[in-house]
Amino acid sequence: MTLFDLALKNMRRNMKSYALYFGSVLFSIVIYFTFVTLKYSDDISALADSSMKVQGIMSASSVVLLIFVAMFIIYANSFFIKKRKKEVGLYSLLGVRKKQIGLLLFFENIVLGILSLVIGIVLGFLLSKGLLTILVRLMGLDAVASFTLSSEAVINTTIVFMIVFLFTSLQGYRVIYQFKLIELFQADKKGENLPRAKWFATIAGVASLTFGYWLASQDLMTSVMWKILGISTPIVIIIATVAGTYLLFHSVLVFVLTKLKNNERWAWRGLNLLGVSQILYRIRGNAKTLTTIAVLSATTITSGGAVYGLYYNAGEQTHHYLPNTFMWEGKEVNLTSKDVLYNETVHAKQAELELAGTTYRYTFVDVDTYNKLAQLQEREQLAVQNGEAIMLDPYYDERFSINHTGQKLAVGDVAVKVKNLHAESIFNADVIGQTIIVSASDYQALAAEHNTYQLVGMDNDKKQVASSDKLQQQLGDVYLSSFPASYKSSIEGLGSLLFVGSFLGLVFLVATGSIIYFKIMTEAEEDRGKYEILHKVGVGHKEMKKTIRMQIGFIFAAPLVMGILHSAFALSAFSGLIGANILVPVIIWMVVYMAIYAVIGYLAHKQFSHTLQWRAIK
Amino acid sequence: MKPVLQVENITKAYGKGANIYKALNGVSFEVHKGEFVGVMGPSGAGKSTLLNVIATIDSATTGSIIIDDTNIANMKDEQLADFRRDNLGFIFQDYNLLDSLTVRENIVLPLAIAKRPAAEINERVERIAELFGIADLLDKYPYQISGGQKQRTASSRALVTEPKLLFADEPTGALDSKSATDLLENLSELNAKQQSTILMVTHDAYAASFCQRILFIQDGQLSKEIFRGEETRKQFFQTILQELTVIGGDANDVI
Repeated sequence: MTLFDLALKNMRRNMKSYALYFGSVLFSIVIYFTFVTLKYSDDISALADSSMKVQGIMSASSVVLLIFVAMFIIYANSFFIKKRKKEVGLYSLLGVRKKQIGLLLFFENIVLGILSLVIGIVLGFLLSKGLLTILVRLMGLDAVASFTLSSEAVINTTIVFMIVFLFTSLQGYRVIYQFKLIELFQADKKGENLPRAKWFATIAGVASLTFGYWLASQDLMTSVMWKILGISTPIVIIIATVAGTYLLFHSVLVFVLTKLKNNERWAWRGLNLLGVSQILYRIRGNAKTLTTIAVLSATTITSGGAVYGLYYNAGEQTHHYLPNTFMWEGKEVNLTSKDVLYNETVHAKQAELELAGTTYRYTFVDVDTYNKLAQLQEREQLAVQNGEAIMLDPYYDERFSINHTGQKLAVGDVAVKVKNLHAESIFNADVIGQTIIVSASDYQALAAEHNTYQLVGMDNDKKQVASSDKLQQQLGDVYLSSFPASYKSSIEGLGSLLFVGSFLGLVFLVATGSIIYFKIMTEAEEDRGKYEILHKVGVGHKEMKKTIRMQIGFIFAAPLVMGILHSAFALSAFSGLIGANILVPVIIWMVVYMAIYAVIGYLAHKQFSHTLQWRAIK
Repeated sequence: MKPVLQVENITKAYGKGANIYKALNGVSFEVHKGEFVGVMGPSGAGKSTLLNVIATIDSATTGSIIIDDTNIANMKDEQLADFRRDNLGFIFQDYNLLDSLTVRENIVLPLAIAKRPAAEINERVERIAELFGIADLLDKYPYQISGGQKQRTASSRALVTEPKLLFADEPTGALDSKSATDLLENLSELNAKQQSTILMVTHDAYAASFCQRILFIQDGQLSKEIFRGEETRKQFFQTILQELTVIGGDANDVI
């Protein structure tokens, strides 16, 4: 029997702690491989017209994923090695050279690595097929995903993870070489100091967070801060928020908890004192982890919410700019489809106007034409007297557009006064932009060129891609403004964005969960003794469970609350930026996130209680 | 005869400048082959620090430690590892067994590390297990056996390589009196029969009474040395108790 055999045996019997590490590595490989497979997939490139866009998004995301996955494995590995310090110490004590221990761990790491790589690629292959189907569905394409193993993806994944394993092995070596034998015997004696609240850090934390939030809620166009900071504003916001979060966990919470602990009425009841002390005792050490979790959560919720919001609003946004299913300039085409709701011919005049020193090109339409179309499009009717005008501007944004209400316009002999402005049009914005409605007689008097436009409305307009293609063929070179075509291309882009967003979101979520899980398992290991003592001095089960819930609940809830708060501010800024209401999709997304998060929390709680081995100390 | 262990004027200091604290302050003594030496003293006197320093687990600030002609104070990490493997054995209060290996595998570990042939390993393990009375437990796991049995496993592991020096840090600290007596009897039997050299730190006068010589340590310095000589174990126990009362109010420690 050699040391090697014993090490192998030890590995087999220690499966439980290995399983956690192995699982993390496997998870990372499956995710990465799946993603890379999708990236290299011919199905996607062949099907989507917007494949360049999709490829771009995929490539950028795979880099983000790679960095993340590598960090995650390195974190899991350092946790794993820490857990095995006792074993390493014992080997060293019995006279194994550090070089040999290092070799042993290196070998182990590589074996684990190859094993997880093989299994991970197989699982990832299966998963990618399923995900490809979802992606194709989301992008609104009619196609069946094929079932091929991409050799590029296999090579890419293998190389990337071999480098990661090499790095973790070196990390193991470093730990071994820094390890001092005496640590093995002093590990338990090392005490932590109870943190004291620091005034300065507390104030700085609150101030930094408030500043970050305030800056985020500033308007892009009007804010003085944006003018001063320019393009670096988002970076300043992120730095302020992350720093604020850290200081909050580091000091503000310590401050609050200390106050709570000193409140004798509350603290000296049952195990409250213990619960608060447990949290307080570790909070400084945990500040970094809690901040990481909070920032990860915020990133996930924000990016997911933003993308999902865009996807959710895609139809509405397109409708805003393209109120007619089809519109083109020129002759009428006879459409036979039974979905056709209206097929109108409209005349309009174009004229150039000078307003406040700038020349604009406007389209004039008479009020009767407007009202006819408004009725077809289910809009309210308008009344315009001679000498009056109403402006229609679908691009209008109160932040940076000029409101011409009250302005006097003169084209040749006709002079009108703008009495109102509507931020929506009856025409497709890519054919006719800003429109001015004038009375019938004013329109007649207008000396300007005169154009003919065709407007078609169809039922079920999102699905009229075939009609659109046919129509374009009939029209030849004439530019066709088509709602179904625009909708399709925006959904294709957004669909892949949504897919990538949710995919990365899920990865972040699971990884966040695992980080918390690792943390809690370490604490369970450390707290076992404490809870045994409590049991011995006669504390009941129920009370202990309550304290455990408090301890775990805190580690879970604190970063989640911060993450949601961060993302709420970020998303409200985003919503303002795109000028759309994304409240519903964002809330759906947040609820989904919290639900998954809660499941992880529940599992961690269960495992924590299990580690404390209730049965054993019952 | 040359001593197995020569400790010369060692100090161990913690902290810096004005805050310096000397856990050991000029300790010197010798241990000869086949001796069973106890180190006693009140809590915080430096017993465990002394043991750790001699046992190469910790390093001394100044002074020299010579084990069998080799000055371990000058050794590098690698050499120390080899030295521990070839010359030293350890027993601790909390056993330090690997939970994932059986009793047999735990005992095999140091021999496997030293790359002994399998036949020799088997024979040695059987013999040492017989001696400590754990032959029936060889295929059990540490969590399946009692504290006393765990400590006998740890002792077997420490002695299976026949080390020049065995270090024991409060080996009976966590044991009941029956298990403690069994273990101590085993150790002194080994000491008598096989001329094993043992250095044991304890604050328990009963455990110490199995030794032939006791070194008392106080505030990092050796304060007294007593020999068992021709006394029976019971008489020596009384002598130790008296000595502890003389040394100071720390007789509480022995109860």
